[in-house]
This record gives sequence, C-alpha cells and structure tokens, in this order.
Amino acid sequence: MQPMRDESAVLKSRTFLAMGTVVSLTASFPTGGSADPKELDAAVRLIESDFAELEERFSLFREDSEASALARGVIRLAHASPEMRACYAEAVEWRRRTHGAFTAERPDGVLDLSGLVKGRAIAQAGDSLDAFGLRNWCLNAGGDVLVSGTPSPGDPERSWLAGIVDPADRRTLLGAYPLGSGARRALATSGSAERGDHIWGVGGRKSEFVQVSVAGPDIVTADVLATAIVAGGRELLDVAALEWDVDVLAVTRDGKLLATPGFRAPHAA
Amino acid sequence: MRARAAAGAALASAGILAAGWQAGAQAIEASQVTGVTTSGGTNGTASSGSGSSSTSGSGTTGGGSRAASSSALKDGSYTGAIESTRFGNVQVQLVVSGGKITDVKALQLTDAERRSQMISATAAPILRSEVLQAQSGNVDTVSGATVTSDAYLSSLQAALDAAHA
Repeated sequence: MQPMRDESAVLKSRTFLAMGTVVSLTASFPTGGSADPKELDAAVRLIESDFAELEERFSLFREDSEASALARGVIRLAHASPEMRACYAEAVEWRRRTHGAFTAERPDGVLDLSGLVKGRAIAQAGDSLDAFGLRNWCLNAGGDVLVSGTPSPGDPERSWLAGIVDPADRRTLLGAYPLGSGARRALATSGSAERGDHIWGVGGRKSEFVQVSVAGPDIVTADVLATAIVAGGRELLDVAALEWDVDVLAVTRDGKLLATPGFRAPHAA
Repeated sequence: MRARAAAGAALASAGILAAGWQAGAQAIEASQVTGVTTSGGTNGTASSGSGSSSTSGSGTTGGGSRAASSSALKDGSYTGAIESTRFGNVQVQLVVSGGKITDVKALQLTDAERRSQMISATAAPILRSEVLQAQSGNVDTVSGATVTSDAYLSSLQAALDAAHA
C-alpha cells in the first residue's frame, strides 16, 4: 500500500443539464490507480435521474408537470401528490422560520417551489452518491455546492475550496470558503439580479443585498437562507446568524461586504 | 452613598445589558429583568444576590476587594452574585478606582459558550481583503447566484469543469 500524496490524486468532472442550469459533479481519484471514469459516469447517471425526477414533478417550465397543473388550477393542492404536499409543507415551514422572507408564492399567486426544489434535488443526489459508495466528491448545481470528503484523499485535512463569484464581475472571485465533511458541507449563493426577479424583496422593496452566500451543514438550509436573506435584508441576516449554525457573506448594493466570522481568513474551523 | 447607589445601578444595568446582549433578538421577560436587577440591589458591596433567582446566595468579593463600610466605595473589585436568568447564569464584576467605578466586566455570561458563539457569529462589515483570497485557478468549485445553462458557458465553473474533463 503506497501512501497517497497530494499530487497522486486527480479531479475528474462530468456535467449535465438540469433545472435550467448546469450540474457539475467532480470527484477525486488516485492517479494511476484504478482511477475510474466509469465509476464517475455511473454516479452521474444516478444523480441525473434524481434531478430529472424532481424536475418532472415541480418544473413550471414543463407544461406536463404537476406543478404546472397546479398553477393552471387543473388540480388543487389538497389533491396533489404526497411529494408535492410534503414540499409545500416544508416551504410553509421555511416561510414561518424566516419570518416570511422565504416564500413559495409568486407575487402573482402562483405556487413556485423552485426555491426549495433545487436544494432538495442536490441533497437527494448527495444521498445517492453516498449510497453509491462514491467518496470525495463535490456537486455544484448552478452555483450551489454540496461536498463530501476531500479533493485530496492523501491529505484528508484538505477542504474543498469553493470560490465565491464577485457579483460586480462574474469572471472574478470575491474570495473563497473551505468546505468539508460535517458542519460545513454546503454552500449556496443567491442574488437579486439573476434570472430576473426570482427573489422578491419583502413588501416589494428592493433588496439591500445583491448577493448572499450561506455555508452550513446541509444544502437546503443554506439555499433557503441565502434566498431569504436577499429578500429579508440585514434583519434576516442577523436572525439567520443567531438561529442557525451557518456562515454568511453578503454583498450590499454599493459593493460592501457583511460577514460572519467564519468568512474571515484564515478560516477558523 | 452616591457611589454605592451608582455601583448598584451599574451592576444592575450591566446585568441587564449582559442578559439582553445574550438574548440577542429575543425579548427579555419582565421577570428576568427583575431577577437581574436584584443582583445589583442596593447593597454597597454589590455582593449579595437576593431572591429566588440567585444561585450563589451571598456573593464573593474579588481579589483586592474589601467591604464597603464607609460611605464611599474603596478601591478594588467587587464581584456580584451569580444570577440565573432564563438564558443562563450571569455574573458581573465592578472595578472601583479613586472612589469611582472604572470598569464593569462580565465574568459569566448566559448559558455560555453557545450563546457567546451565537453573539459572536453576528455579521459585521468586513473588508474584501479580510475574506480568504483565492484565484479562479486554485479553487475546486465556484459558488454564485444561479447561472442559466447559457450563462454557464462563460462561467468560471465551466472553465474548472473543462480543466477536469
């Protein structure tokens, strides 16, 4: 058994389209060993079906989805599938916990669970990868990240280093945040400028943050809170930092940063 | 006497401050405020808590402290009783120098580490240079607001994925 070194590991990535964005799965394999792209390809097929399954049910961009039928009033929530109702119940609970900042209802009244569905899809895909037996992976779905293990199996202390996009110039990074197993497996970033108005400020006011990143133990929490803080502003940032075990980095409209201590370098955890 | 009253008031407000600080966004119940106020009391030594909320009975005086038997507080440090509040125990210390209160310290804050961590976890303004710096070339992945599949093509993540293909 030859001890693995940093340089004896190689990262391999595969991508696929889902939920209107691109999902990237990156895994670390020992070089020269049984570094097996086939294993990665099989893992990708597995999680592709996780995303497809949720998209089929929840996408408002697909006319044949259950979500579209609900939006058109063809079926009522009370008669919707258990999966749909469970997701709605979860959204309502998040709305309560975020004091209304996170909501699953669009201003036009249409039920839109997409703010929750992507996080759920990533979480489900993560469970699939664990069950599949893949170790040391990093899953990125349109900028939301969930990791397991390390990019460097020979140096298990090394974290997956996630760059955070500068909203003023998306080709550069504001900074980075180390992700690893445990309390900081997930990182989600939401913006007020992406995809039109996909986040609505509370009471219709303009958000004071153009971008919010949240790192935490699970991707649904990170994703929901990032969205909620964009909508709920400084007030909700403080609530989130108090009530959840998360780190937050927020970018204000004038380009200034607000951060919890975890986002300061050097990272202390 | 005025110094004593001031000491009592300072301890009481320090206690309330500490409790309020610890409580974060949560409302402080009236009963709790009363409990904390008692710790300051009107006792010149600021040492004996009273009421059911006190856990230590009579308080202790810190090193260099002495009983305040004269009308003015003598120099030294005065340690208040440990008061239990809804959020945990609170204990404050007063430093008197030249007959004046020069410092009020929180010796023990509520339910301690977790609350303290929570308080210190609050977000504060930070300079860009204080964030862990990295170039796009040495990160493993990139987090940003959701990119559409079109925008992905020109994204940093796409460059990383291509490099790891």
